[in-house]
Amino acid sequence: MPAVVTSTTPTLRGVGLTKTYGDGSARRAALKAVSIDLRPGELALLMGPSGSGKSTLLAVLSGLLEPDSGQVLAEDEGELRDVWAMTGKQREDYRLRTTGFVFQGYNLFPALTARQQLEIVLKWGGYAGGSEARRRADEMLDKLGLAPNRHKKPAYLSGGEKQRVAIGRALVKDPSFVFADEPTSALDWENGQRVMELLRDAAHDRRASILVVSHDHRLMPYVDAYYHLEDGHLEERGRG
Amino acid sequence: MSYALQTLWHERPRYASGVLAVTFSAVLIALQCGLLLGLFKITSIPIDFASAGTDRTLWVGSTAVPSVDLGKPIPASYLSRVAGRPGVGMPELYVANFANFTKPTGGTELCFLLGSRLDGDSAAAATVLTPQMRAALSEPFTVVLDESDYAKLKLDHPYGRPKINGKEVTVVGTVKGVKSLAAPWMFCSLHTARQLLGYVLPPDHATYLVAVCDTPARAREVARELRAEYPDDMTAYSGTDFSTGSRWYWLFRTKAGFAIGFAAVLGLFVGAVITGQTLYSATAASAKEFAILLALGIPRWRVYLMVLAQSFWVGVVGVALAYPICLALREAARLGSVDVDLRWEVLAGTAAVTLLTALAAGLWALRSVRTIEPMDLLR
Repeated sequence: MPAVVTSTTPTLRGVGLTKTYGDGSARRAALKAVSIDLRPGELALLMGPSGSGKSTLLAVLSGLLEPDSGQVLAEDEGELRDVWAMTGKQREDYRLRTTGFVFQGYNLFPALTARQQLEIVLKWGGYAGGSEARRRADEMLDKLGLAPNRHKKPAYLSGGEKQRVAIGRALVKDPSFVFADEPTSALDWENGQRVMELLRDAAHDRRASILVVSHDHRLMPYVDAYYHLEDGHLEERGRG
Repeated sequence: MSYALQTLWHERPRYASGVLAVTFSAVLIALQCGLLLGLFKITSIPIDFASAGTDRTLWVGSTAVPSVDLGKPIPASYLSRVAGRPGVGMPELYVANFANFTKPTGGTELCFLLGSRLDGDSAAAATVLTPQMRAALSEPFTVVLDESDYAKLKLDHPYGRPKINGKEVTVVGTVKGVKSLAAPWMFCSLHTARQLLGYVLPPDHATYLVAVCDTPARAREVARELRAEYPDDMTAYSGTDFSTGSRWYWLFRTKAGFAIGFAAVLGLFVGAVITGQTLYSATAASAKEFAILLALGIPRWRVYLMVLAQSFWVGVVGVALAYPICLALREAARLGSVDVDLRWEVLAGTAAVTLLTALAAGLWALRSVRTIEPMDLLR
């Protein structure tokens, strides 16, 4: 029976998550009984050395990779549900309703304009069609300072602009959770700062839970909570 | 513009090979069909060139005759079975039979005698025969043939006279547009045909009875009635049905239909493989973009639809490019006196088959979508 969500309840909880790769002597534990709480309106940063399991934790929390054990409890339609107790179809629907992603590579369709990159999510996700999708896409691009670029294709955008379009694509459906994997690593510091400001604003203004995975310590001033993952163990090292 | 079409246009160099493969398939199919139809039109020339036209004429011949050149003699008395029926004109006798042609220089070839009434009211006389030719043909042992056969039969030779079935004949004119497949058509009077055929055509017999009906529908109706009334010793067709039947008979009798079918399937297969591979690699190249959408919870069938839409548009563009090429090649063939019959059924059929093949190629390419996993973005 799903628990009822109260205003103090974290909206996304990872509880006792373990994940192991490989067999025999090649067996390696990426997550060892990791627990984490992500709260609404909070930008959390997950750091750790290469191969420490950061991306694995992000994938498990976001419903992309099934853990060996443990639970991911996510607020969905007013209830906390175990993401990994859902069927594949239910989890796909859940992600559609609640989750946005930003990756290091922008992964924008080369043939589509900035506006269309956002519209396609709204239209294909069944959020809005036609003029409503266009209005919402334009509104998001305005907020990201991309209004003059809405008709440009990726080839005519700078790296920072492309990443902002990718953030717009993640946010345009107004998700409860946003997962960003190294969103600034391909950008110069100026653009990296801008991206972090946008993610922080999105968390605060939209009450979304945003988890950023990065190597870059310079991002720490922008976040509300900071986690460190090493050898499969997670440690909360700060909360603003 | 749809996302699929937009992607196709943006990445046209990538999709070009698929489009060209579809174009190649479509041109191959359309031209093969057109060539064959054009070729086998020749087999129904006596029907198609009848002065009364094709659709209103009624042809009565020997039992189950499958093609106009395969009729056997029937008694002229069958005229009474046809005459007097409402909506049917007075039937006339028509002789159509193979004969031996001896060239002026020696050596023989088969020819095909077409003997008909030659007056202006004749239903069966060929339209290509001018009044002057008809007047000339009223002389016994005179014939008219297509100009393309003139030199082939050594008629341009200054000495010697041609013979048909051993009897000397005089060529009194040549016409255009009635080429033959193998045995040249020899237009002549009924009298000449009888004289030349001799015992091959018994007295008071003809190969066909030809009558003009009021309407095409009436021609079909009377043909049905006659077939039902006299199933054992004669048959009847409307001109249209007999013409089509003659062409189909030779199409399949010669196995040419199978040959074209094989070539068309081969063309389609090549087109499908190239198109499928093009779509597959194009989809694989966009795997990360699609993976993002899947991570966001966009259903996979949306991506499937986009790939299928792309395959559809590849087919549409390929066919659109194929049509002008086909028409240009038809004109080129016409310069060489080769008829490529690109009737609308051929063009529409080509489009339908090619589009279906392109869609099948799209379905084949979907396997690349099945392998896309959002997790790959995190590795």
